[in-house]
Amino acid sequence: MKERTAAATVMTKQKVSTRIGTAKTKRNLFIASFILPTLLLYLVFTVYPMFKGIYLSLFDWSGGSETYNFIGLANFKEMLDDGIILKAIRNDYILVVGKVIGFMMMSMFFAVALTRFHIKGSGFYRIVYFIPNVLSIVVVGVLWRYVYNPNLGFLNSLISLFTEKPFEFAWLGDKWSIFALLPPSIWAGIGFTIILLVAGILSIPSSLFEAADIDGASQWNQFWLITLPLTWEQMKTSVLWIVMTTLNGSFVIVTIMTFEGGVDNATQVMGSYLYMNAFKFGKFSYGSAIGVLILVLSLITTATLQRLMKRDTIELT
Amino acid sequence: MNKGIRNPGFRLFFKLSLMVWAVCVLYPLIWTIFGALKDNQQFFLGKPWNLPKLPLLWSNFSYVWEKYNFGDYFVNSLVVTLVSTILGVLLSATTAYAIARYTFRGNGLLYYSYLSYMMIPTFLGIVPLFFLLNDFHLTNKLFGLILVYMITAVPFAVFVLVGFFKSLPKELEEAAAIDGASHYATFFRIMLPLAKPGLISVAIITVLNIWNEYVFALVLVNDPTKYTMPVAIAVLQGEMQYRTEWGPLFAALFISMGPILLFYIIFQRQITEGITAGALKG
Repeated sequence: MKERTAAATVMTKQKVSTRIGTAKTKRNLFIASFILPTLLLYLVFTVYPMFKGIYLSLFDWSGGSETYNFIGLANFKEMLDDGIILKAIRNDYILVVGKVIGFMMMSMFFAVALTRFHIKGSGFYRIVYFIPNVLSIVVVGVLWRYVYNPNLGFLNSLISLFTEKPFEFAWLGDKWSIFALLPPSIWAGIGFTIILLVAGILSIPSSLFEAADIDGASQWNQFWLITLPLTWEQMKTSVLWIVMTTLNGSFVIVTIMTFEGGVDNATQVMGSYLYMNAFKFGKFSYGSAIGVLILVLSLITTATLQRLMKRDTIELT
Repeated sequence: MNKGIRNPGFRLFFKLSLMVWAVCVLYPLIWTIFGALKDNQQFFLGKPWNLPKLPLLWSNFSYVWEKYNFGDYFVNSLVVTLVSTILGVLLSATTAYAIARYTFRGNGLLYYSYLSYMMIPTFLGIVPLFFLLNDFHLTNKLFGLILVYMITAVPFAVFVLVGFFKSLPKELEEAAAIDGASHYATFFRIMLPLAKPGLISVAIITVLNIWNEYVFALVLVNDPTKYTMPVAIAVLQGEMQYRTEWGPLFAALFISMGPILLFYIIFQRQITEGITAGALKG
């Protein structure tokens, strides 16, 4: 920064008086003092670890100094034969798809209910629906683990009211337990997409609905032809947000509710498998390679979705 | 004015659905409080939806607070949250101000390098970050956690505050310059006080995120005296596999939830607006 300031000063010196020169130096020093401390910390504690993570993924390293060999893409080749990583990817995408469908259908339903009916207390509902979003996923996970508890849980006790024998299904100890993680994930996050869609619907001019009413369009048609196309931007944002937070964050709900990935890795996701490899087995470079995999998959998924959902934005005049 | 949908059957259906979901959201919270006031016997013999029997077992709270050290964890969480929020907001406000009000080479690049962080999964850097802090002897220390939290708060805060500083009128700076105020004086005396609403809403969102954060806290702190609330709750739940103490577990949940719910009720508007703004960066 200082060199550049000096160079700039030299270049302009001939024409401009020295008084302006010092004012410029002062200005540049001020900018530098406001930018550099943050930038330095940012580079050291976030940017550097990310690049180092990519770098590490090309090595064979288990934490100590005894082995630190460059092995190219061997970690990624190892993944191809690693049945657990394939299961983890599958599970991540079960969550992504399940959450996108569940979130979008439910939040669109509630957003319409909160806006198009002018129901009393809709302000209250909006406040309440957002509550789970401010809770820690750890808290949500512990609560829902109790809901699913085989003997004393809420769900089985409820089902037992209608069965002769007490119903004792182990929701979280099953081959398909990954699906049991969908309801808590939806419960915990849906408040956010509801708020987004509510804002979207409220920004539609009510004259459009009035005109549709006069033309005799049914409510259903109004939804498909007005509400849906005009909230497309908000839906896109919601979908991308769900994908990002799921691929990046499903680790927490998985470890809290099923500890190390359930029975026979039934609920293992990429994040939890990364954590296990790196911090339980000490396979730090393999863990880093999984980190790169998460990055690549989330970039590909969001880019693909962005392309798929591309639509001409409708300009209202 | 559009009256909305008036078909009575339709209305009733939607109205009921709204109520049902409100119950689905609120009931687990109420039930956490009830659970925190029960003893093990009531958990094993009674139905989960039973009300706690009298006398209420308030001792569950003091039990986790003292015997399971949740008093300490609460203080740890509080210290980490407050210190990293204040430092994070300070680091972001300065950078955001420079980006928003000054033109210099690399201005746009700097802005987008902060924004792009929000698109990159945290897990990519988690292994090197652990070793980096380990080399600095900052693992198992609250200070290490504070350092990480304050810097990870920066990208979102810069994004919001750049927008905020840009919206302030240009005449203010010109007037200050004519009065002979230095760049620093202009920032600290004029711009920072004007940006207070933006700073507050950024601070609120940061407090929420840090209070609830689990992954960094899990990886970077293994010393049980330095746990934050989310890690402590996860550990307590893990121990439940061998020893069942449901009442105290729910009391611990409530200790973590209570302050954040209160916080949400007070700052409800800023929180919903702030979080939505963050996601709309596109």
